[in-house]
Amino acid sequence: MNEVEELLRRALRRVEPPEGFAERLVRALPQVTPANVMALRAARKATPVSAWRRFSAPAALAASLLVAVFTGQHLATLKAEREEQAGLAASRELMQALRVTSQKLDLAYEAVQRPAPAPTAEEENRS
Amino acid sequence: MKARIALSLAALLFAGPLLAQAKTSLAAIPKGQLLLPEMAGLADKASESVTVTLDSQLLGFASRFLNPEDPDEAAAKKIVSSLTGIYVRKFTFDTDYAYPKADIDGIRRQLSAPGWSQLVEARSKKEQTNVDVYMLVDGGKARGLAIISSEPREFAVVNIVGSIDLEQLHELEGKFGVPDMQIESGKKPAPAPAPKESSKPRTQ
Repeated sequence: MNEVEELLRRALRRVEPPEGFAERLVRALPQVTPANVMALRAARKATPVSAWRRFSAPAALAASLLVAVFTGQHLATLKAEREEQAGLAASRELMQALRVTSQKLDLAYEAVQRPAPAPTAEEENRS
Repeated sequence: MKARIALSLAALLFAGPLLAQAKTSLAAIPKGQLLLPEMAGLADKASESVTVTLDSQLLGFASRFLNPEDPDEAAAKKIVSSLTGIYVRKFTFDTDYAYPKADIDGIRRQLSAPGWSQLVEARSKKEQTNVDVYMLVDGGKARGLAIISSEPREFAVVNIVGSIDLEQLHELEGKFGVPDMQIESGKKPAPAPAPKESSKPRTQ
């Protein structure tokens, strides 16, 4: 058992690389950029970014703002129109109410203006 | 027995808040305002009906839309400025006495409350027209005006709430077809030649 352990320990022991190994390894690596990266770079250069693509987001934002502003204005106009219609209807009602009041006051006035009925002959005899 | 007691307690528990609510709603009604019934049934039977319900908010709103160039509307604006409510129910029928007298009696009962005084009680046997004018005076100021008018084919109730100034009422005279009632001048109006109706002016 101890022999096996000893063998393993020897086999797995830390071995320092020879001097200059790292530099040699870097030098040995290929200096060319991978093909797929090159292809991607080439494709990006080949297709120019269109103006629409560049300005689409700000344009959409501006359009949204414009729509919001116009919708708000339209709603405010509608509200004002509705309020005016309601106000005119209320004022018509008010005038109608005052007219009815005046008619009825008229009736009361006429009744007050009329002199009391003359006493009948029977009533005169009683007094 | 226990169930009855529980039911009674539950009824009392529910009745308390309901009574309190009713008291609050009655207290919310301003002085001079009558509780006019909706009279929806009458409106169906009537050939013509006018129902106006303008509380203080609506009066203020309506008066903003009155044309100051129009003399009638300008006068109305001035009158309305001191009012807190105008309520009108007017029904015209095709047949005689199609309206229930109970409705009128119900309104008259409210006018027997303290503070209300009858200014005019006019009864015309010839035209079968009755007109009663009441005013609620509180703290030396008129706070409400009520007019009940009944004819064979017409029934109208007018309730004006607010600080009613007789001078303003005077301004109303001559407008909208109302002649000058000479409230302040003290001048006696010229007598009419038809002495067949009875009227009892009750000036306070």
